[in-house]
Amino acid sequence: MKNLNFRDSFKSFLYDLENFITIYENHLHVFNYKKLNKLSDKEIIISLEGKKIIITGNNLKIKQMTKQELLINGTIMKVEFNYE
Amino acid sequence: MNREKIIWIKIDAQSYYNLLIKLNDIGVTVYDNKKNKNDILIKTSYSDYKKIKKYLVSYKTEIIGNSGFRKILDIIKKYIFFSVGVILSIILLFLVNNLIFKIEIKSPNKNVQKLVMKELEKNGIKKLTLKKKHSEIEKIVNKILNDNKNTLEWLEIKYSGLVLIVNVTEKTVKEETTNYKNCNIIASTDAKITSLNIYRGVALKEINDYVLKGDIILSGTITHNEEIKNTVCASGEIYGEVWYTVNITVPFKEVKTKYTGKNRYNFNVVINENKFPIFKSRIKNKKEEITNLYKLNDFEINLVKEKEYILDTNYLTEEEAYNKGLKLALEKIKLTLDEEEEILLKKVLKKEVNDSTIYLEIFIVTKENIGILDKVEEVPNVQSNPESVQ
Repeated sequence: MKNLNFRDSFKSFLYDLENFITIYENHLHVFNYKKLNKLSDKEIIISLEGKKIIITGNNLKIKQMTKQELLINGTIMKVEFNYE
Repeated sequence: MNREKIIWIKIDAQSYYNLLIKLNDIGVTVYDNKKNKNDILIKTSYSDYKKIKKYLVSYKTEIIGNSGFRKILDIIKKYIFFSVGVILSIILLFLVNNLIFKIEIKSPNKNVQKLVMKELEKNGIKKLTLKKKHSEIEKIVNKILNDNKNTLEWLEIKYSGLVLIVNVTEKTVKEETTNYKNCNIIASTDAKITSLNIYRGVALKEINDYVLKGDIILSGTITHNEEIKNTVCASGEIYGEVWYTVNITVPFKEVKTKYTGKNRYNFNVVINENKFPIFKSRIKNKKEEITNLYKLNDFEINLVKEKEYILDTNYLTEEEAYNKGLKLALEKIKLTLDEEEEILLKKVLKKEVNDSTIYLEIFIVTKENIGILDKVEEVPNVQSNPESVQ
């Protein structure tokens, strides 16, 4: 099991697979997302590896969007993780 | 590093969120976005724009602008005629300001005109050449005057817009007195003769004689036993004492202009001799020094240096006013004198002091050249009527 963890960690390090989110005052940065499932001014649902993030708030907008990263701005009220 | 072209595109879409999801689905990178009433502006790469065109066919897309250096190029391309026009105008303005289109030599003598033109060409001043600096012009003027000492008395070169104006004064060669067959030297003013140098002619007056204006001092008619033997043009130097009475009133109150050292710069536009300052002047009492920047016919743009001054009132004592009056009177007389002429005597005849002024009557005696040439008109039969010669 330890070997497997190490291998996964190494793989993640090499291929940049690990995902993370950073929350600022009015911004939320998501790295290594899979898909943008839902987008509205009140709710944004983003799929990540093995989980979903549900962001609720007001005037939510996508400020920047690349294949790997998302920068969301607006008044962020709640961030939920939904593990599948 | 291959920098991808970043552009702003306009997509006609009502739903911002639907569009963003679709852009995410097709893997478009969005660097920035703005939502307008009827469209959405997306900042993306040119390759992603092609992707949008390919997959989102139902959306109407349009490139509205590049960013960075490409944006500047876009602006230049968009306003190509304006840009070229501006550049051409700058070049034209430079040419108009710095080229000589015409050379005007102001002299009635055509030979002098030709001479000056040749000299100017020799010194690099021609039509359709660049204007020279003021210092260079001064050097050229001095050189031309030195090279043509016998022909040219004075030369001035100035620019008036596109025209180079050359003012020339030709050297006036004194008329050869020997050309005259008969002439006298007469007194130019009432005087007492103090020296008499006769080169030619017969002296009718002696040293210490008093002469009136117009009296013949040296005669060009040589007679013997009341018979005219020969006629010459009399020549000589006659100096005499000349008397002047100068009346002068000097006020005790003296107002002098004193510069404060505070200067301001302004511009003015002159159209048909009407001046229009560009900025409002903040200096009340000022003297203006004007430098012409641009001139075309009746249109001028000038740089104006405004020098502030204050009026300094000074009250002279009686002695100071007296000395000032004396000095002014002597200066007035000196202006009429040549190098070899001088003031011999000065005496105050009358002095009257009033409340605000001092009045002086000054008697001045000078030594002056009083002889002037007077040509005697020739009579066909001279011998038959000798008296008519004079």
